[in-house]
Amino acid sequence: MYFCVITLIQFKMIYSSELIKGTLKTIVLKLLADNKKMYGYEMTQKVKALTSDKIQITEGALYPALHALEEEGLLTTEIEYIGKRMRKHYRLSPTGKQVSKERVSELADFMNTMRFLLDIKIKTA
Amino acid sequence: MYCLSEEQIEFIRDDISRNGIETEDLQSNLLDHICCIIEQDLEENGDFGSFYSATLKTFYKKELREIEEETKSLLMFKNYYTMKKLMIVSGTFSVIGFITGSLFKFMHWPGANILIVLSIATVALLFLPVVSILKIKEVNANRDKFVITSGTLVGILYCIAVLFTIQHWPGSRTGVLWLITTATSMFVFIPIYFFNGIRKPETKVNTIVSSILLVVVTGLHFTMVSLRPTSPEIKMYSYIQNERLLQQMQKGINNSAREISEKNKLASVIQNTCAEIKGLILRQDIGQTSLPDDFETKNIIINERNVGNDFFNDGKGVKLLAELKEEIIKYNRLKENGHAGLIPVNHSVLSIEPDKISSYSNLFILNGITQLQMYLTNAENALLASK
Repeated sequence: MYFCVITLIQFKMIYSSELIKGTLKTIVLKLLADNKKMYGYEMTQKVKALTSDKIQITEGALYPALHALEEEGLLTTEIEYIGKRMRKHYRLSPTGKQVSKERVSELADFMNTMRFLLDIKIKTA
Repeated sequence: MYCLSEEQIEFIRDDISRNGIETEDLQSNLLDHICCIIEQDLEENGDFGSFYSATLKTFYKKELREIEEETKSLLMFKNYYTMKKLMIVSGTFSVIGFITGSLFKFMHWPGANILIVLSIATVALLFLPVVSILKIKEVNANRDKFVITSGTLVGILYCIAVLFTIQHWPGSRTGVLWLITTATSMFVFIPIYFFNGIRKPETKVNTIVSSILLVVVTGLHFTMVSLRPTSPEIKMYSYIQNERLLQQMQKGINNSAREISEKNKLASVIQNTCAEIKGLILRQDIGQTSLPDDFETKNIIINERNVGNDFFNDGKGVKLLAELKEEIIKYNRLKENGHAGLIPVNHSVLSIEPDKISSYSNLFILNGITQLQMYLTNAENALLASK
């Protein structure tokens, strides 16, 4: 009995990393569109809080994505020094703002299509 | 809340760098991230060492290096589009170059050679490498990567060998490049391709058919490669001997008192035109209008190749040859000593159509002209003897 409860707690619904991977860039862009300026750790915490721990962005996926977005010119950065440490704050560039909107609407459209494809009935509240 | 000491921060920095995070930017990002987690989640008197290693483990599946690799591959992916564009642009350029170049060649328009050379160079140095890099990214198995790499290598070698052959660049005549190309194809690429493809049931039949075709094509090509090519000097020596023979024949004329007749004058005009044509060719090949006697010590070699640009369309060489033909026809009309004194116009260099001269080799034209000079000298000598 206890074992079952523990197992249930342990298997709290966390989306698989495969699902997160394709949407990570969109998540980051949307986060920055809403919060102006953020650094990596802040992003993971924010997502955790917003999704009540259901989506946990791993560091291994977040930083490569951030670097790629920066390279694509969608993000601008600001460096803040905290003692010997360096903290990199990310912001959307003008193109980033545009792309952010596009990606969000693309994902919304994708979700609609998936809903249709997988024949998922929307629960009416 | 835990307070990190400077030593601990340094320790973390060293540790992540030791574990394969080399990009400085990524290093400082991860360092800050780890520090944030430790400061937030570790109690004030908690154990730094064990908490740190437990935290770090959540960052990766197998090893920390993954993050560095993932970053690099994502950054490469950005270049992917540029490379794809480059592939399409260079491919289109070379296809257009080949088609227009071939058309120009067919019509004997100037510029055909440049177009074709540029197209081949683009294929060999731009298109093929880019295609293979993109293809290598698409496949996962190392064996497949090796097949693509060796195939590309053979393709590039093939293009380079063609380029050297049509441009008569040094080394092209020995056939070494062709030997290397066909050998690489036969003993490296085809075996790798064959044994790689035959393992998978879905590609087995295709691989066998393609391998046979590849062997056939390579074999056909190999038969065209001359294994023991003639030394280029031999062809030059044949020209030099002709020149010497001519000089010997001319000695007779120079030594005897010359009767100035119309025919004599014409003979020397013809000799001058001949010398001018030969000078035109030699200047292209060795930078001077005649071959010096000490050519061997100076290491001067006339390599066989197509006659230069002067023999293209309305070039100076074409005009001179036309002039020469007229002069010789005139000379033949003035014949006094029967059929023996005629200089051949048909079945000699003079019978080449003007628009085809450019496709003959330099040594062929040189020898042809010298031959005409010998005929002329012979006729002159006969004339002298008869008087």
